[in-house]
This record gives sequence, structure tokens and C-alpha cells, in this order.
Amino acid sequence: MAKRNSVLEIEDLSVSYGPVRALTHINLEVNEGEIVALIGANGAGKSTLLEAVLGINDINSGTIRFLGKDITKRPTDWIVASGICLVPEGRGILSLMTVLENLQLGAYHLKANFGERLTRVYDRFGVLRERSKQMAGTLSGGEQQMLSIAAGLMSAPKLMMFDEPSLGLAPVLVAEVFKIIVNLNREGYTILLAEQNARKALGIAHRGYVFETGNVVLSGSAQQLAGDPRVREAFLGGSMK
Amino acid sequence: MEIFLAQWINGISLGSIYALLVIGFNLMSIVAGVTHFAYPHVVVLSMYVIWYVLGATGDNAPIAILAGIGSGVAISLATEPIFRPLTARRAWIASFIATLGLSMIITDAMAHGMHAGRVIPFPTSFVGTVPVYQLGVATLFRGQLMTFIGCISVMVGFFYLLYRTQTGRAFRSMAENPFVARLRGIPIARTSRNSYVIAGLLGGMSSVFLSMALRYASPALGNFLALKVVTIALLAGLGNLRGGLIAALIIGMVESMVTGYVPGEWAGAVVFGAMLIAIMARPAGVFSQEAQSSG
Repeated sequence: MAKRNSVLEIEDLSVSYGPVRALTHINLEVNEGEIVALIGANGAGKSTLLEAVLGINDINSGTIRFLGKDITKRPTDWIVASGICLVPEGRGILSLMTVLENLQLGAYHLKANFGERLTRVYDRFGVLRERSKQMAGTLSGGEQQMLSIAAGLMSAPKLMMFDEPSLGLAPVLVAEVFKIIVNLNREGYTILLAEQNARKALGIAHRGYVFETGNVVLSGSAQQLAGDPRVREAFLGGSMK
Repeated sequence: MEIFLAQWINGISLGSIYALLVIGFNLMSIVAGVTHFAYPHVVVLSMYVIWYVLGATGDNAPIAILAGIGSGVAISLATEPIFRPLTARRAWIASFIATLGLSMIITDAMAHGMHAGRVIPFPTSFVGTVPVYQLGVATLFRGQLMTFIGCISVMVGFFYLLYRTQTGRAFRSMAENPFVARLRGIPIARTSRNSYVIAGLLGGMSSVFLSMALRYASPALGNFLALKVVTIALLAGLGNLRGGLIAALIIGMVESMVTGYVPGEWAGAVVFGAMLIAIMARPAGVFSQEAQSSG
């Protein structure tokens, strides 16, 4: 495969929560058109990394470049406007607002072609069109996850980050969400996916990084990682829940 | 019947002013994260501004009204740097204490520095004591009518902003879930500052209506209003904008009826007593729903 343009480059990134080191000297790259999976146990630093990219966490050292531009010290609203969105863990929706209002806020910085983007999102998630006037909190778990993804799409992202998209969803819905991610990728969206379910994540990803207590301990193509004895033992073993 | 009608008119006009104050107070609480005890004190300060400008311009009402509203916005924005560092690190109690401090400073400044602390009466040409409608002892004055129409218009405008504009949606998203609001790319600092502007605007307009309806202001008025506003907001559920509006109208009405029918100065005791009972029955607020975001 030819070398593709880098979308996200993270160099030597360290993040602390007070005295607690959450990420230590992370190097990571996401190229155009890829799905990159971050796997590792709960608390290994995957979410911290995604939030650091979006400027939510204070960064101790290191640089984050997006499409060649240094975004390390930029505020979150600037980063979102420049084309990165995060579909967060749990329900990334505003449950006291309507479905339509959630989508309108997803396009906060983008006023042009709002109707066009809304139509595309509604065509993709028909159920959201039906429920556009309903309070988002009244949607089912799966529908809420779709709304969360749809709100991200409304910001016309060049990089979509997903944090544990399968968490708390029934197996049928997990498969559905992963299918949506694959389809988005086929349409050209570049994706960074943090997921505890390593089997699922490596099943759809091109490359992956394995996180352990704030460090990247292993990286490589998804096939390499899925075949690696350490990964198999820690995350893919039959004895795992 | 005539007394009832008279008190009903009073109650509506009083309640609609309470409602404006409570809405501004709640807006600060949910968007800026400040439980702003001194919010009504700032409004009273604007009443003094109106009074001074009236005196200086030979009772020029339009200029005085603009000065009152402008001062509301200016003072509100001037307090933002005080509260910002506290709310940024989520020091809710510290920011509340800061507003208490501000309320004392404003009260003292009014008591010692302005008109020697005496009650300031507003000129009759401004308050509009022209009867518009009369039935026995029940008189609807022009000032009351303007207050009522004015408050309703301001509230309609505010709820339009809140529910039909992107700024309003940004306010509500920050009120419900600041983290998700941030993920959506909402500029937190600017939206918070906007809430100071809108709350200042509401406060400034309240000062105009209060001047017309009460026809006086005094250094003690700030504390009196602040107790009412905070209690009404708690009664409805802190941060509940629609609930606060309804509770304010009810309290204004009850207060007015008690004043009309119960001899002696019992309005305060009855109103606050009723509120205590309501809070005991529904601690999260009478109008709170299960997932209502609170303080």
C-alpha cells in the first residue's frame, strides 16, 4: 500500500491528572482513509488520548499535529471546527433537547449547507428523521448512539474518533455500530477507535496500538496484532469474559 | 370583588417582575455556573442609575431607560472576571460567597454613598400613575400595564432566543452537559460571557419595570428581592427556567392576595412559610423532573 497522507501525528505526548501520569511519551499516527484501533484495558489511557487530541485535557509535553498543523495548545472549539469530532463513551447526546436540536448543535460552527448535511444524516439514520422532534432522552440506547454519531457527522469531520462505541449496547447493536463505522470508513472518513473489545476492533481496523497503563506497548497492522501471542493472551483469549 | 381585582392586578405585575429576575438568576446559574445572590442588588443599582439620569436630564424617560438597561449589561459584564476563575475550577460555594460579598458591597454603597441612603422616589411622569381602567377601588395604572406588557414581551423574546436560536441552544447544552457541549465545539468561554450579557439585559429591563411598578428604590430593596428570587428559584428547582417563571407568577399573586386580605404585615411570613412547606414536600423543586440538572 502506498504511503498515504498523515491526518493525525502525535509525538512524545504526556498527560497527567494532577500528580497521576495518565499518558507517557506516546507516539501515534493516523493516515488518511485508515481505521486505527486503540486497544487496552479500562484505564489504560485510551480515552485520555482521544480527549487530549480534542484539547480537553491539559498536555504536559509533546505535540499533536492535525493535517500538518500543530493543534497542541488550541481550544476545543477551534479543534472541532478544524475537523475532528469525538463520539464519546456512553451517551454523547443532550437528552433534554430534541433530536433535531442535537444535530443543529453538531453543526455549531458550520452554517453553510446545513440542510444538505441534515438530509444526508437523515438518509443514513432514518429513525432520526422520524424522531426529529422527540427529546433525545426518549430514544433507545442504540438510537442514542446513532444520534451521537450523527451529531459528529454534522460537523463535517475529517477525522472521527470513537470512544468505546460498543459499551453498554446489546450484541446485535454492537455489530450494527461496527458496521456503521466500517461504512463511514469506506465513504472516506478517517477513523480513530478506542475499544476494549479488541477482537471486534482489530476485526475492522487497518492498524492498532495496544495501551497499558499509559504506555503504547505494541503497535502494528491489525493482522499482526491479532496474531501476536501477547495480545491473544491478554485480550483475545478464550478465557476472557 | 374590587379588592380581589386590585390585588390581582398588583399580583400579576409583581409576579411578572419576579419572573424576569428569576429567569436572569437561573440563566446565570445554569450557563455561567454562578448562584448569583447579588443579581437583584445589581438590578437595584440600575434603578439608582435610572433615578440619577432622570434627575440629570429633567425626567427624560427614554434616556433613563436606556441608561438603566445599559448599566445592567455593563455591571453584569464587569463582574465576569470576578467569577470566571472560581467557576473555572468549579468552586461553586466560593463563587456563591463572592456574590454574597458583592451584595453587601452594593447594599453598603447604596446606603452610604447614594442619596445619603434615603429612599429614592421615582417621578410620577416616569412611573405612569395615570389610571387606564377603574372599577371602584380597583385601578389599573399605566405603569402597571406597561410593566406587565413589557415583562411578557421580554419573556417571549428570551424564550425565543433560548429555543429558536443557536445561541440559545448553546446555553441549554451547557446547562445540561458541559462536556458534550464542548465536544460539539461550542465556545465555552464566549457562550458563558454571552449569558452575562443576556442576564444583564434582563436585569436592566427588570430595573426599568421595578421603578415603574414599585415607584421607589432603597438600599434594603436588594436584599428583599434577593431572598425572594433565590427562594422562588429553589422552590421551582434551581436552574429550571420555565418552572421558575410559573413559580414567580404564583408567588407574586399569593403575596399580593395576602397583603390585600390578611391584616398586618404577614405577606412575608405566609409566602416564605408556604415555600418552606413546598420545599419540604419536594426538595428537588416543585417543577423538577427526574433528570433535571441542578446546581
